[in-house]
Amino acid sequence: MKQLYACKNCHWLTKEKVCPHCAVPTSKRWRGYVIIDDPSNSQIAEKMNIKKPGKYALKVR
Amino acid sequence: MTDAAMDDKEPTKIFSIKTQVGKEQNTADLLNSRSKRSDLDVASILVTPELRGYIFVEGYDKERLKDVIKTISYARTVLDGDIPVSQIEHFLVPTSAVAKISEGDVVEMVAGPFRGETAKVTHIDDAKEEITVELFESVVPIPITVRGEQVRVVKRKDEDKKEE
Repeated sequence: MKQLYACKNCHWLTKEKVCPHCAVPTSKRWRGYVIIDDPSNSQIAEKMNIKKPGKYALKVR
Repeated sequence: MTDAAMDDKEPTKIFSIKTQVGKEQNTADLLNSRSKRSDLDVASILVTPELRGYIFVEGYDKERLKDVIKTISYARTVLDGDIPVSQIEHFLVPTSAVAKISEGDVVEMVAGPFRGETAKVTHIDDAKEEITVELFESVVPIPITVRGEQVRVVKRKDEDKKEE
């Protein structure tokens, strides 16, 4: 599996070195993994303040 | 079904799934792709580094979930009952690894080449979540910088003062 990088701002996981949403440099040092499919009905997405479906890291350094 | 009826879904439940240790992320990815192929409605999947061998799945139908995880070899069972979101809230907002460490504390290295050795904390870098320590057993004090997760506090600086 190709290395995933996490956006330092929105925690979005991507294969790119720059976040496609925030244009912020991404980091390969991240922990925790969240897949959000339905942000409008998810309690976890609400707590994490996530509006877009996708894969996210819990913690990015 | 109308859009209004679709938006008015019942509240989600959070189920925990026992998985093979170290395969939590793979299980989450597989479950995500299988749920899209089958009619399993999953709102989110959570993998926390603190809890090895378990993942949390936010969904509606536990029986359907049980059927789907039978096709995933890394997944073992769905645990009985569902978990209130308040119980997993602390996983979602992780605290800094160095938050509970202060300068002067005695720590034990739990990982890395100095595993098992005790040391004194001399400096803390909050931004990088790294700490600088001096090993007790080294003859010459050499500062070593390690990650905050690699140590465990064995004695606090305050405890030392109380004993004196």
